Amino acid sequence: MSVKVKIPSLLNKYANGQELLEVEGYSLIECTRNLVIQLPGLKRWLYDKQGELRPQVWFFINGERIYDDEFTKSLNDGDELFFLLASGGG
Amino acid sequence: MIKCHGIGVVDMFTEDELVRYERQIIIPGWGEQGQEKLKKAKVVVAGAGGLGSAILNYLAVAGVGSIRVIDGDTVELSNLNRQILHSEKDIGRKKVDSARDKLQSLNPHIEIEAIGEVITEDNVFEMVGDYLIVDALDNLPARYLLNRVAVQRELTLFHGAVYGFEGRATTIIPGKTPCIKCLYKDVLPGKIPVVGVIPAVIGCIQATEVIKYVVGIGELLINRLLIYDGLGQKFTEARLKQDPHCEECRLPRSFTIGDER
Repeated sequence: MSVKVKIPSLLNKYANGQELLEVEGYSLIECTRNLVIQLPGLKRWLYDKQGELRPQVWFFINGERIYDDEFTKSLNDGDELFFLLASGGG
Repeated sequence: MIKCHGIGVVDMFTEDELVRYERQIIIPGWGEQGQEKLKKAKVVVAGAGGLGSAILNYLAVAGVGSIRVIDGDTVELSNLNRQILHSEKDIGRKKVDSARDKLQSLNPHIEIEAIGEVITEDNVFEMVGDYLIVDALDNLPARYLLNRVAVQRELTLFHGAVYGFEGRATTIIPGKTPCIKCLYKDVLPGKIPVVGVIPAVIGCIQATEVIKYVVGIGELLINRLLIYDGLGQKFTEARLKQDPHCEECRLPRSFTIGDER
């Protein structure tokens, strides 16, 4: 199953300039795992040293914010996954 | 119906004030009544940096009657790429003093209260009072403290944050929207890159939210995150929801009377 992943412009250079790409996976966890295999430069932004998804990353499925307990929920073919890095600048 | 806190007593407008605000009073749905609501409004802006510069300038010129500015820092040269409240002559001064002087010269008809202290667990409830809260901070621990006051006192909080060429804003109404603790589990570490135009854009969005909220017009960023990508020159919107496990706004609170912490 394929999910569309939208890359934030901040991380565009780690995605070879691609803004949108297709990734295989049945849940968010699987999609992010496959995403960093396709684009290894993104790994350190999405995962910590222990291999866990970073708490500083906000995930959105079809434009809606989702939290940790939804990361293993089944996705549908064509769903859109978007992520942002939580930043605190003022 | 959304609760509207922070409204006090108002005086009549002077001729000068009516001339000053004429262009906004003629906006449909605004009128003198809307202007009076702004004059009665009490708003606390936490942070007189990049976001705070845009927010404070525009709330002041719009005629928000009572503005309280909180910031414990002094002006540094490295602030001046984005913090347009301050000038070279202000280097070394408390940011809140520089902010008060600038804002008072922009609009002498409003009250500016300057609090040059760092927000702590011990002073945050007193500093905020029952004012509408604008989050123009640059660190998560202080944001959590502001959020705690907002949640416990059911005060609306206008949030904004920036990083590099990107920024975002949302309006938090405790009980109806996610709070800061729902949204933020942590932030990127290290020195935050920022170009002045980004906090200007986001700060203007926050100020617009405050003005609409007080005047009672338009649609707020409730359960909506507005994301500005300055590099792609795009605005994106995402839907927000409360974190069912949030320890600030979803779990029953236990505190004794007289101690809100």
